[in-house]
Amino acid sequence: MGMTSAAMSALKTFASSGSTPLSSTFSRHLHASAGSKKIVGVFYKANEYAAMNPSFVGCVEGALGIREWLESQGHQYIVADDKEGPNCELEKHIPDLHVLISTPFHPAYVTAERIKKAKNLQLLLTAGIGSDHIDLNAAAAAGLTVAEITGSNTVSVAEDEMLRILVLVRNFLPGHHQAISGEWNVAAIAHRAYDLEGKTVGTVGAGRIGRLLLQRLKPFNCNLLYHDRLKMDPELEKQIGAKFEEDLDAMLPKCDIIVINMPLTDKTRGLFDKDRIAKCKKGVLIVNNARGAIMDTQAVADACNSGQIGGYGGDVWHPQPSPKDHPWRYMPNNAMTPHISGTTIDAQLRYAAGVKDMLERYFKGEEFPAQNYIVKEGKLASQYQ
Amino acid sequence: MAMKRAATSAIKSFASSRNSLSSTFTRDLHASPGSKKIVGVFYKANEYASLNPNFVGCVEGALGIREWLESQGHQYIVTDDKEGPDCELEKHIPDLHVLISTPFHPAYVTAERIKKAKNLQLLLTAGIGSDHIDLNAAAAAGLTVAEVTGSNVVSVAEDELMRILILVRNFLPGYHQASSGDWNVAAIAHRAYDLEGKTVGTVGAGRIGRLLLQRLKPFNCNLLYHDRLKMDPELEKQTGAKFEEDLDAMLPKCDIVVINTPLTDKTRGLFDKERIAKCKKGVLIVNNARGAIMDAQAVADACSSGHIAGYGGDVWYPQPAPKDHPWRYMPNQAMTPHISGTTIDAQLRYAAGVKDMLDRYFKGEEFPPQHYIVKEGKLASQYQ
Repeated sequence: MGMTSAAMSALKTFASSGSTPLSSTFSRHLHASAGSKKIVGVFYKANEYAAMNPSFVGCVEGALGIREWLESQGHQYIVADDKEGPNCELEKHIPDLHVLISTPFHPAYVTAERIKKAKNLQLLLTAGIGSDHIDLNAAAAAGLTVAEITGSNTVSVAEDEMLRILVLVRNFLPGHHQAISGEWNVAAIAHRAYDLEGKTVGTVGAGRIGRLLLQRLKPFNCNLLYHDRLKMDPELEKQIGAKFEEDLDAMLPKCDIIVINMPLTDKTRGLFDKDRIAKCKKGVLIVNNARGAIMDTQAVADACNSGQIGGYGGDVWHPQPSPKDHPWRYMPNNAMTPHISGTTIDAQLRYAAGVKDMLERYFKGEEFPAQNYIVKEGKLASQYQ
Repeated sequence: MAMKRAATSAIKSFASSRNSLSSTFTRDLHASPGSKKIVGVFYKANEYASLNPNFVGCVEGALGIREWLESQGHQYIVTDDKEGPDCELEKHIPDLHVLISTPFHPAYVTAERIKKAKNLQLLLTAGIGSDHIDLNAAAAAGLTVAEVTGSNVVSVAEDELMRILILVRNFLPGYHQASSGDWNVAAIAHRAYDLEGKTVGTVGAGRIGRLLLQRLKPFNCNLLYHDRLKMDPELEKQTGAKFEEDLDAMLPKCDIVVINTPLTDKTRGLFDKERIAKCKKGVLIVNNARGAIMDAQAVADACSSGHIAGYGGDVWYPQPAPKDHPWRYMPNQAMTPHISGTTIDAQLRYAAGVKDMLDRYFKGEEFPPQHYIVKEGKLASQYQ
């Protein structure tokens, strides 16, 4: 049943797009026709770190731990980290791959152009969460299925947000710098170090990760606010102890600390520009483990320099990997890292298992868990609309 | 009444201590009328002092009580110069009545200094932890030692949770990469873990230990605690932590160990090479309690060997830590100077607590009972 409706939607979509021959329509069916598939995975390379941990499945060398499983079934599995430019390894395999597995930590940017070239492509799987590195509209128009491992690293990201909140409000990093530099100057840290207790923390977005964050914040006795498209049901709101803020711009000036917890969509791209940053309290602390492009890069750097932002921390940038001269590396009072929060060993094991499960369903013609779909039968998941 | 009792105990203590009778009377805790000489030893802020009007904990801020003290006719001297025979503190030892010290820049009140301090009656700690004072000598001399119990317990518990996360999630190499122009996810991710599901043991479950356990609860860890005293079942259930009567039996179960005991004769050097070896290989240790609870070199060696996979804390011995202290340079550490209990929020609380106790001292009133560390010749239970 799933196959038929997928096929019908694919036909409809292609009928309207008018650009591709009928043969490629049939090859876009999600559920694999029998036969060996070409599966390509783009992950980050580990080099000397690969051998240090047998559970390190998320890197190229670890290949999600599914190489043997795939090859024993007769499929072809190619894994690379080389993803940029017309001559890269990924580009060579675009024309004939059936499935592309990508990951936010080293994202393969799946543009409309690449989608056009990928005549056999049926399925785009995100090993992790967040599929904005894919042109979702183009994928939908092309009848592709896009899915991610919903829930696989939500706890990981929420923990990491707590870490960055504490690092910024308690002014940890200047202290660590002193310790490793042979210095000792308590005042240079203490003059702007605060407890988290009693502060007002607002989360922009209260989906899975936002709620897990609010739960972890609860014993810290803060004033918790949340803004979202949807209000939580009263039971959950009471349990979490957070107040709903319907109007984002009304919430911002109330917050000592703001945490970004939305996906990157057409609506959220550049949401935090110079004007919106100016609406925040002077000295606001911002944590963004969501997506770099939700922020105006230069506006954030300027605000850190002026002190309008008292501290900015996160593991997401645009683009990724971020270039050597990205301003967020050097702006004052930052707590940045490369994109790591959702790729702890624990998270890798969960999203590797999720990818394996979805590949199995794909081979068997079965549906994925409903919440994993990002693009299905020409439609985008609600959070991306 | 309290004044009389203090006097009687003081005489008793001094009869045995061989000090002159005149100094016995000057040891009465509660101030005879008249101007007092109060000395405070804090850290200096220099250019940072004027950046924040609430920055009361530094020399320049002087706990915000200068005007209040001087308007009552008392003398208030504040300094950061505390080490050696020619330091500023030493000059005032012979005649000061009250010495206010702070763990973040501790004035080491030795038996020798106590002997010289003929007018000294009261030692106040602006913060918590009075191990920088020779408490036995203070007790023998009939002094009162008190600290602002509870003033920064939340601060320290928050900071411990932060350091747990920094170590388990392998944050610092990532930060270093970002600020150095690098990008190598694998170099971080190969040894980065979620806190969820790990076994965390706290050595000591007093005020700070309990606040930590409460903050750990939503992280869904396996929580263990070791203490002299078992919590009452209600509280145990609430925190979700299991009692471990035997410390050495608890250690090998833990992925993460947090130190939450005071520094006492019993806990000094508690974590030596042997005890560290009892921990899991790759254990993470957080110590915001006192540096001297650990054997400094044993910790450095274990970090180098990998037996300790990460060590973080804000306490050292001595403080300030010298430039060449091994903990500055050992791998996988999350150290800072002693800051966790001296956030602006904590400073305001302990400054208020010091002011309150000085007020009671001037008026001859008792302190809140939990503040006493040495009273009438006896040490508080956690130091016995």
